[in-house]
Amino acid sequence: MNIRRIRALASKEWREILRDRLFFALAFVVPAALMLVFGYGIVLDVEKLPFTVVDYDRSSMSRDYIHRFIDSRYFDFKGYARNERDLEPLLADSKVRLALVIPERFQERLTAGRPAPVQTLIDGTFPFRAQTAKGYVIAINAAVNGELLAGFVARTQGVTLERAAEQVSPVRLELRYLYNQELNSRWSVAAALVMFVLMVSPPFLTALGVVREKEHGSIYNIYASTISRGEFLAGKLIPYVTISSINVLILWLMVTTLFGTPFKGDFLFFLGASVIYVTCTTGIGLLVSLLVRTQVAAMIMTAIITVVPSVLYSGLLVPVPSLDAAARIEAHLFPAMYYTNIALGSFLKGVGLEVLWDDVLILSLYAAVLWTLSLFLFRKRPRT
Amino acid sequence: MRFPRLAQTLLWWRRLRVLTAKELLQLSRDLALMFVIVYAFTADIYIAGSGVSFQLNHAAVVVMDGDHSMASRELIYRFRPPHFRLDGEVSGASEGIRLLDQGKAMALLDIPPDFQRLLQEGRSTGVQIQIDTSNAVLGTLAAGYAGQIVGKYGMEAALARTGLTEESLDTLPLIEDRHRVWYNPNQNDAWFIAIAELMTVITVLAIVLPAAATVREKERGTIEQLVVSPLTPIQILLPKVLSMTLVILAGTAVSVFLILDSVFDVPFKGSLPLFFAVTVLYVFSTAGIGLVAATLTRNLAQVGMLTILILAPIILLSGAWTPPEAMPAGLRQAMFLSPLYYYIEMGYAILLKGAGLDILWDSLLGLTLLGILIFIFGVWRFKRQFS
Repeated sequence: MNIRRIRALASKEWREILRDRLFFALAFVVPAALMLVFGYGIVLDVEKLPFTVVDYDRSSMSRDYIHRFIDSRYFDFKGYARNERDLEPLLADSKVRLALVIPERFQERLTAGRPAPVQTLIDGTFPFRAQTAKGYVIAINAAVNGELLAGFVARTQGVTLERAAEQVSPVRLELRYLYNQELNSRWSVAAALVMFVLMVSPPFLTALGVVREKEHGSIYNIYASTISRGEFLAGKLIPYVTISSINVLILWLMVTTLFGTPFKGDFLFFLGASVIYVTCTTGIGLLVSLLVRTQVAAMIMTAIITVVPSVLYSGLLVPVPSLDAAARIEAHLFPAMYYTNIALGSFLKGVGLEVLWDDVLILSLYAAVLWTLSLFLFRKRPRT
Repeated sequence: MRFPRLAQTLLWWRRLRVLTAKELLQLSRDLALMFVIVYAFTADIYIAGSGVSFQLNHAAVVVMDGDHSMASRELIYRFRPPHFRLDGEVSGASEGIRLLDQGKAMALLDIPPDFQRLLQEGRSTGVQIQIDTSNAVLGTLAAGYAGQIVGKYGMEAALARTGLTEESLDTLPLIEDRHRVWYNPNQNDAWFIAIAELMTVITVLAIVLPAAATVREKERGTIEQLVVSPLTPIQILLPKVLSMTLVILAGTAVSVFLILDSVFDVPFKGSLPLFFAVTVLYVFSTAGIGLVAATLTRNLAQVGMLTILILAPIILLSGAWTPPEAMPAGLRQAMFLSPLYYYIEMGYAILLKGAGLDILWDSLLGLTLLGILIFIFGVWRFKRQFS
């Protein structure tokens, strides 16, 4: 390893990036733009679900019941529908996501002390939203039933309503939310997005940087020079790791100021772990660049191998314990998940190296393996 | 003069055909790119759709049982799969919090002493659950399920004490909750994700392939040959779009029949010809974006970065991940500018909901108008640059 050669190559590379102004701007603008767009655009809170009601009973009790939904911030009332036949086109056109059907004699049955069925139709196109909506419906019905039952017990056993309420639901549940008391999904998403952005943009830059030389033929200068393989890779990558490390700072600022996510952890630890992660992701780009020959192929291949795992197998949208066995293995094979732990731990939980040391260790190993592999795959004498 | 005009028309079509064949041949010789396209339409969609679930599955619960009674064990036992998984008992709160810090457990259930005694005496008691909400969505789901479990437990305990049983619920004035989930009764995430991923892949390729094919000619200088030839700008651009549309359509067919149908059993409720027709329209409209990107850049690296910048908002504003009603008010208006929004809307509606043109005409109109605008803009940019 000759430091001077590495420095020469790195400064050549740096100049090349700097002089291609669009490329340089995109190296910084793309990560920030991704953060901005996804941070504001991924809304995981299920609120304001548009819904409609078919009320065949039109009684005061049915209206009271419907108002539980109308008054809830989780639902957005879109007006009554006349009958059940009208519901199908409304649901198919996504005009509403949920429909309540209250049968005739709803009030009559309940006042006579008999059960009354209420039908709920939910649009299952977004399964996660359907599941959450179902949870809201169950919770509203449970609350209504608790009151109905308390009223019934109070009437039949001659006790006060408060005493009856205590009797029918004797176990109170006290929920305490740790780390994110307001259940603000934007905080979690913004912190996890640092992982996503740093997984998508550095490999892209790196892969293009190397393949560009291949496609232009300027790589033959390298093949013919005295520079060794290790020196070439190091010199080539240092500028990209530097750019990405600057991006870590920019993203951190965006997450804490723009999205207001609290940063409870140790900043130096977070920075150090992030640099290791970035070294890892540039390594992925390097590996791709050694496998393909054209820039188009490099772009599409990086996009494919980074985007899907970092969205689905990283804990960004789907938590790793919720994945099935095969997918969980895939998550463990990919570096994104470890960095999600570090990001969420540093931002929201306020833990540091003492808890997250294993994640940092695995990322370091990952980076080492990727770089060694690239060293072996890179040949100065290309097979033709 | 009729004959020469016919000859001209024939020549026009012939040129179109020859150039389209040239584009296809060029594409088929780039083996790495061919491999990537095949991968994107098969393995990528398979990986995205299989094994991923947005539901709360097997969330680890640790317990601090201060009562160690029949009643407390009965309650603890209810935190079981699919949503929860008991992960043992901890001796103190600090041990429980440490497990939550490390992410080893998601919830800590704390049952006070006297739990059983208070219940039997008909007095009210309370249990505490601490939930890791660093992932807010899961936290919300876990809180909801925990609420259902504890609520149901409490109600049953109350009924048992007053001498009523589960069956006697039928004779009480209660609301019977009959919910049905349409279009995806078992909330199979694979259907949703696989369709969303297919449409995203189509979008990426519909923009990147024509853009790359055009910029490559610029980068290698072969564009000069095309410009000095008797071809009009339309004749240069249309074959690129046509050939890529053919490739994408073939890929979509493979994906629909091989992955969506055979592997994931997506029920195709609507008309498949309609879906493919809409896909052709969509690919054509989005290809215009690729052409615009190609005129703005000089080399493939730049066009790659630019397309990411264009793709991110298109995908995000499409409703693939967040439906329109959940978008912030400002962004909801911006969704009408994303061609993918119309395509996703129609795609889900045709494939899962079985909707036809009677319902989807407005989305179709929106996509057509947007597509024409984008395409005209792309051709205009190209013309200005090269003639």
